Amino acid sequence: MTEHAGRIQRSQAPKTWSRYRFPESLWRFGAVLAIIVFLGYSMAFMNVDIGLLFGALGGLLGVIGTRFYPPDIAYVLDAGYLASILDTLQMSFLGGMAGVALAIPLAWFSAWNVSPHRRVLFPLGRLGVISARAIHETIWTILFVSVLGFGMLAGVSALTMFCIGFAGKLFSDEIEAVDMGPVEAMRATGANSLQVFLFAVVPQVRVAFTGIAIYTWDVAFRAATVVGFFGGGGMGWYLKRNVQQLENLRVGAIILSIIAMVLVAEFISGWLRAAVNRAK
Amino acid sequence: MSVLSVKDLRVRYSANGPEILKGISFELQSDDFLAMIGPSGAGKSTLIRCINRLVEPTGGEIVLLGEDVRALRPSELRRLRRNVGMIFQEFNLINRMSVMDNVLSGRLGYTGNLRSLFRHFPKKDIEKALYYLDRVGLTDHVDKRADALSGGQRQRVGIARALMQTPKLLLLDEPTSALDPKISREVMALIMGIAKELGVPALCNIHDVQLAKEFCNRIVGLQDGVKKFDGETATLRDRDLEEIYAMEVL
Repeated sequence: MTEHAGRIQRSQAPKTWSRYRFPESLWRFGAVLAIIVFLGYSMAFMNVDIGLLFGALGGLLGVIGTRFYPPDIAYVLDAGYLASILDTLQMSFLGGMAGVALAIPLAWFSAWNVSPHRRVLFPLGRLGVISARAIHETIWTILFVSVLGFGMLAGVSALTMFCIGFAGKLFSDEIEAVDMGPVEAMRATGANSLQVFLFAVVPQVRVAFTGIAIYTWDVAFRAATVVGFFGGGGMGWYLKRNVQQLENLRVGAIILSIIAMVLVAEFISGWLRAAVNRAK
Repeated sequence: MSVLSVKDLRVRYSANGPEILKGISFELQSDDFLAMIGPSGAGKSTLIRCINRLVEPTGGEIVLLGEDVRALRPSELRRLRRNVGMIFQEFNLINRMSVMDNVLSGRLGYTGNLRSLFRHFPKKDIEKALYYLDRVGLTDHVDKRADALSGGQRQRVGIARALMQTPKLLLLDEPTSALDPKISREVMALIMGIAKELGVPALCNIHDVQLAKEFCNRIVGLQDGVKKFDGETATLRDRDLEEIYAMEVL
């Protein structure tokens, strides 16, 4: 601004250059050193015996071999159990849908750049997303089970809270990264904040939101097995019962079925997200 | 008649930051096509955004269409903004929407929330959009996505969008800087023609002095947040430019 053409001041050219110069270099190497020292101190303090760890790995394989093998595959092919897989799927779907539906307005409120009200709705939106995130899904389940009793309703409610926290944060980050040019243009036409959101923000985040929603379902499906374990119904419930009854061969089969279903969910979600990105 | 009157306008982006505008005053008459010239960083964009409060001024007075802009409450501000069409350097179109939806978005200030949600604009607005799309020569591109158009075509969409507001004032923020010299002239001529036809005054930020002289009847020169020149285009001398740009004019 104050430099005028033809009057740019020239200074002596330096003779050498290095990426990290003195004060900065000290910080960088100091930080790395501190992390290594702390790691070593923690290991010594807690008496971590690496040898024992590797020994235990062999032990674990032995336990699996003797107690959980051969898995009782017939058990997981039973109609009752297959129905519970469907329950888990429905739980994750319902929880994911409800969570995403609630996360969108919260994310809008809690995105600083386009928040409809910076003094009231912004902090409320943030609070909503943060409190949903702050409590782990197992704790949400325990809370909802204590209020609603055992079963799918408690499970779906817990998953909804989990999805609000998960998707809400990702959504609002996405909204805060939009190009502000169209936002400015819509404001200049006299549009209100809802109209600005619908016309300037939604078209920019639609594809990313779809991807995040699919990913949320995928994560919710994994969480749904844990939610079941704590009383939310579905596969996790069967797992808990058999663990308590020491039916280890059945437990082995259930764990295998969970791994298989999670892989399937991950595959479907990955495929859908790729399809959405192509449609951009 | 004065459409816009700015007095001692001051802007700081943060309490301790530098003052971007240091007491600017000028008037815009109802038949003016006023060029705001000055080097990059002089505060032209900030100034034009203060007029519809896309940027909040920190001091001074703005009277637009008889209203004290700084005193307006949010709903009153939106009502005032409807009357001010704005055209941007980078067009600021919604790339993933069609040309038609982009043009219709100029009516948002007059449209309810429910209609906005379903993008269901009144028939009258659609007819108006088709008229202005024809006026700017984009009839064949109505259903294309905005990002499928060339720079000049995109700016024409921007012009049509601004006209949809039935503006009483046009704010043009470097409308031609992203365009090549030939298209720049076409776009300026189009804007000026429409402004004259509708009898709407315009305030135009522009760094191309040649274009400013060619199209505008009055010029205000800005440098470092201070007004250095204000007068009829014919009275602008080389030494005024020298002072505004603080450099030799070839």
